[in-house]
Amino acid sequence: MNTLEVRNLTKRFKLSKKQQRLEKTDATVKVACNDVSFTAYPGEIFGLLGPNGAGKTTCLRTISTLIKPDEGDVIVGGSSVVTADEEVRGKIGFLTSELKLEDHFTPNYLFRYFSRLHGIAEDAIEDRKMELFKRFGIDEFMEVKVGELSSGMKQKTSIAISLVHDPDFIIFDEPTNGLDVLTARSVTDYLIELKNQGKTVILSTHILSVVEKLCDRVGIIINGKMKRCDTLANVRKEQQSADLEELFFQLVEEENLLGGDLA
Amino acid sequence: MNNILTVFKKEFYRVMSDKRLIFTAIFLPGLAIYLMYSFMGNAIGNQVDEVESHTIILYTENMPDTLRDQIVGDDQRDVEFHDFDDMPYDDIKAGILEGDIDVLIRFPENFETTISQYDQPGYVVPEVMTSYNPGERYSNSAYYYLLSHLNAYGFDISYDRLGEDMFAFHTDLTNPDHIIMDEQRASGQSFAMLLPMLIVMFLFSGAMTIGPDSIAGEKERGTIATLLVTPIKRGELAVGKVMSLSIIALMSATSSFIGIFLSLPMLMQGEELDANIYGVGEYLSIFGVLLATVLVIVGLVSAISAYAKSIKEASMMILPLYFLSVIVGVSSMFSGEAATNPLMYLVPIYSSVNMLIGIMTFEIVPLHFLLMVISSVVYVAILIFIINKLFQSEKVMFSK
Ligand SMILES: Nc1ncnc2c1ncn2[C@@H]1O[C@H](COP(=O)(O)OP(=O)(O)O)[C@@H](O)[C@H]1O
Ligand SMILES: [Mg+2]
Repeated sequence: MNTLEVRNLTKRFKLSKKQQRLEKTDATVKVACNDVSFTAYPGEIFGLLGPNGAGKTTCLRTISTLIKPDEGDVIVGGSSVVTADEEVRGKIGFLTSELKLEDHFTPNYLFRYFSRLHGIAEDAIEDRKMELFKRFGIDEFMEVKVGELSSGMKQKTSIAISLVHDPDFIIFDEPTNGLDVLTARSVTDYLIELKNQGKTVILSTHILSVVEKLCDRVGIIINGKMKRCDTLANVRKEQQSADLEELFFQLVEEENLLGGDLA
Repeated sequence: MNNILTVFKKEFYRVMSDKRLIFTAIFLPGLAIYLMYSFMGNAIGNQVDEVESHTIILYTENMPDTLRDQIVGDDQRDVEFHDFDDMPYDDIKAGILEGDIDVLIRFPENFETTISQYDQPGYVVPEVMTSYNPGERYSNSAYYYLLSHLNAYGFDISYDRLGEDMFAFHTDLTNPDHIIMDEQRASGQSFAMLLPMLIVMFLFSGAMTIGPDSIAGEKERGTIATLLVTPIKRGELAVGKVMSLSIIALMSATSSFIGIFLSLPMLMQGEELDANIYGVGEYLSIFGVLLATVLVIVGLVSAISAYAKSIKEASMMILPLYFLSVIVGVSSMFSGEAATNPLMYLVPIYSSVNMLIGIMTFEIVPLHFLLMVISSVVYVAILIFIINKLFQSEKVMFSK
């Protein structure tokens, strides 16, 4: 089964002196993810919603095996990120602003390079490349070095490269951030297409409208804690007004009042 | 294995497709060394020429005509004669001190008449007084030139008096076996003193030009994270990078050697140093040592670069190691002989330097060679293991 199960995930960061100053805290440890659990299913888009600094990226980085959980586990299509990280990496397509492409190479070269690292047969690479490149209009600048591309072009290239191996799990961290409306639209359209193909899609965002338009289920994460996790319909029902924004503000407010006990 | 090759090709292509990198990492080292050595060689040569073409300013008092004619007749150097009486003695001394006058030679009055009466009772050996300034290049060289004339003049006088009796003995007048030297070994010794230090320096600087950028730089720029979410094993990434860096470091070192060999004739100014003394065996052994050494150096540079937060930090941390290796290399210049203790061939870099000396002086000890190669392979394996661990550590890879 292509489900993705986050089980009681906790991730703490030691804070350097500099970070303590930036975060205006005396605490030496930051609990970026605090006992987070949720499950994402094939054929749906799961949205991780939360304000900046809530722990969304940390959660997704753990799923993608870039960092290891301190407690808990993530099971991706049967493989644990703790004990089978390589297997997990083969199944997921991960996109986050932290993953950069080398300036010196062209999208064409990089696509082929990452395809090979994913063990894709040479004759299959070209078809897959043209499919994705046409889809995002990358074919028009595929021989231009990444260093000379605009940030939107880079983002599109990053998306294509994260999907070279046609993964069953798609994990996109704020995928439309910094994109112009048209490009953002082509990305969200593609995510819906992937969902319809039966892929398990997780995306994070701090923008309510993205969740409202795209997601089947949503997890609201604030201050490292999962505050709500349900279908969009149920969350709306709870709020009666059908206004997600209202709920979001309430939850943030609530958490701010609790605030202190976290650190 | 496939992944290693893929990473290797990409890393190699990265450098080969970048004109600026090709220039700084591969072309520049050779060019810089060629220009530097040629310049040094020319400068030394020019200095010698210049001193020897300088006209000697000589002041004389009562110089016998025989000697004067002898000096004038020798057209190796031009000499301008001045008379001691033309100038007060103090002014002549000041002239020598300031470099305006090169040499003063004073003979007693009636010198030749005096010495012709050497067999008379009460004869006192006359004294010839010379003055010069050893701190002035012109004066110094002029003095030795004139001294040889003075000696030849004195020699003739002695010979007139004593004939063959003046010689207590001859030295090597007819002996054909005076110089017994294996020219190969002598040249080998010169190479052994010159090259091992340079080799270590070149390999190191080759690795240092690109290593920090290729690993710490990728961390700094966030491009390595993109690789780390693919299924590639961290160890494969490490091996691929080390392989590519090693080849580029070897290319950079080769360029430096070409630079050396092209500038050697100018540096040596005619002294013969012929690399043809070495055969295939020696060259193959040298290549083996180079390969083992470059792997160790690149492994070190890569491990440090994987640990460092930035290119700058990596370079700072590599520098002390570089100096340490140069010191090891320099120490070989003074000994000129390979270490005999087999255990020393387990010490990285030191073993390479001594092995190179052994090869270049035609004294390859197979045990030493084996120890050096095997220990290098073990060190590289350990270093790759360390890099692998560093790549796995989220603290090291994603420190903020
Ligand atoms: N490597 C790290 N070291 C220390 N603190 C970190 C690190 N990564 C994230 N954090 C902290 O963890 C919290 C959650 O960050 P993040 O997951 O990036 O939030 P989000 O993506 O929701 O904006 C933030 O307070 C952030 O400063
Ligand atoms: Mg984030």
